[in-house]
Amino acid sequence: MSNAELKNNGLCNTGIETLDEILGGGIPVGSTVLVTGSSGSGKTTLCMQFLINGAKKGERGVFFTITEPLFKLTKNMESFDFYDKKLIESGLVNLIDLRIISERLGLDTEKYTVEDASALLDILKDIADELNVKRLVIDSITALCYRLQTPEMIRDFIFKLGSSLAAMKCTTFLTSEVPPQKFKYSKNDIEEFISDGIIFLGDEEREGDLMRTFQVVKMRGAAHSRIKYMMYLSTKNGVELTPLLSSTSKIKSKE
Amino acid sequence: MTVSSIVEGLRERIPKSIMMNQTVGIILPDKYYRDIKQVIFEFLNSKSDSFAVYVTITRPYHTILNEFGDLIANNKNIRYVDCVSRIAGISKMDPNCIFIESPTMLEKLGLEINNLFREADEKSSKYLIIDSLSTLMVYNDPEIVTKFFYYLINVTRAKDIHSVYLVIEEEEADKQIKKLINLTDKIEKIVDSFI
Repeated sequence: MSNAELKNNGLCNTGIETLDEILGGGIPVGSTVLVTGSSGSGKTTLCMQFLINGAKKGERGVFFTITEPLFKLTKNMESFDFYDKKLIESGLVNLIDLRIISERLGLDTEKYTVEDASALLDILKDIADELNVKRLVIDSITALCYRLQTPEMIRDFIFKLGSSLAAMKCTTFLTSEVPPQKFKYSKNDIEEFISDGIIFLGDEEREGDLMRTFQVVKMRGAAHSRIKYMMYLSTKNGVELTPLLSSTSKIKSKE
Repeated sequence: MTVSSIVEGLRERIPKSIMMNQTVGIILPDKYYRDIKQVIFEFLNSKSDSFAVYVTITRPYHTILNEFGDLIANNKNIRYVDCVSRIAGISKMDPNCIFIESPTMLEKLGLEINNLFREADEKSSKYLIIDSLSTLMVYNDPEIVTKFFYYLINVTRAKDIHSVYLVIEEEEADKQIKKLINLTDKIEKIVDSFI
């Protein structure tokens, strides 16, 4: 373990104060965490803030995007005070469009063969290794898995990716897209079983206000709380969490 | 009893209650609402080492500014949270005020209150004014207001913040308000024969 890891008891601090409290200090280093939620739930912002916070401590990170072009991603992130362009320019945070990599590898854009998946996995591992990355994001694993033809390929891909990155002591966030207001962690019902952790970003409607909610469903190796929090995205502080006062699901059951 | 003697009575009694008690509930008829606010602002102005957060659920921030301008305009130690302007369609901004889209966003309100108190000097005496608890009950389910109230009481006690909760009698429609206000350390009930 590095000195930083020893200092943090082998935990990777997200830098989001309340989240680190929920996790009992942070995420166990080398974990693969599924960040799951519907459209607009805050997955990308949470993941980017995780990377940026790490970069501010000198931990190199890489953000692989499949769902959003890089120029749009950076434009959207620039409105947040936590986003520091200098960290991108210095190479502490690397933004990579996975579609471009796939094209350069000559991979089929629609469906990957076993060989294609293997080639992609190797390139992801090589990039992480070469850059000595400590934090990695794939946004989204759903879009990537869409190209993998069988459940076995999906399971194999995520398992091998997670294992390789864990060996590099790289903590990984994989975003997973699910339909709104459904208690589901992934499209394929596979990703959550391979992952070490699951962070669920949901919605809750109260008095006409559609609120974002946040819950750590699972985190292997961490003494974490499973309480549901309200999540706000502020330009000043990024992700902000506060305990939920009342759940509408509780109110419905009373009716 | 003249109005001026009522106000003098308030000036004497209310600041003492706030300073000597961690949580104070003030029940008042609507006709003394302006006077109570004046007394509270005068008190906050008199404490140069203080930091206060004034949460308004009854009147827009700019209305309060127009009403008490001379008294509060230069006091940068009072920060405001306005829960009604946006829902009333008022889109004015102010660097001294945080605007919350709706008085139903209680978690957001709690978060902003906490964020504001983080800006306070550790050594300063801190005050939270909720204007008013009864108006909050108008917009929200009583159960949620109760939870929010308990949350505020616990947070302010833990952080040594003196909190003041106004209850306007004409809005005191719910038994729940009476139960909540009894949880404060001190209740001041403003009546015509206050002194």
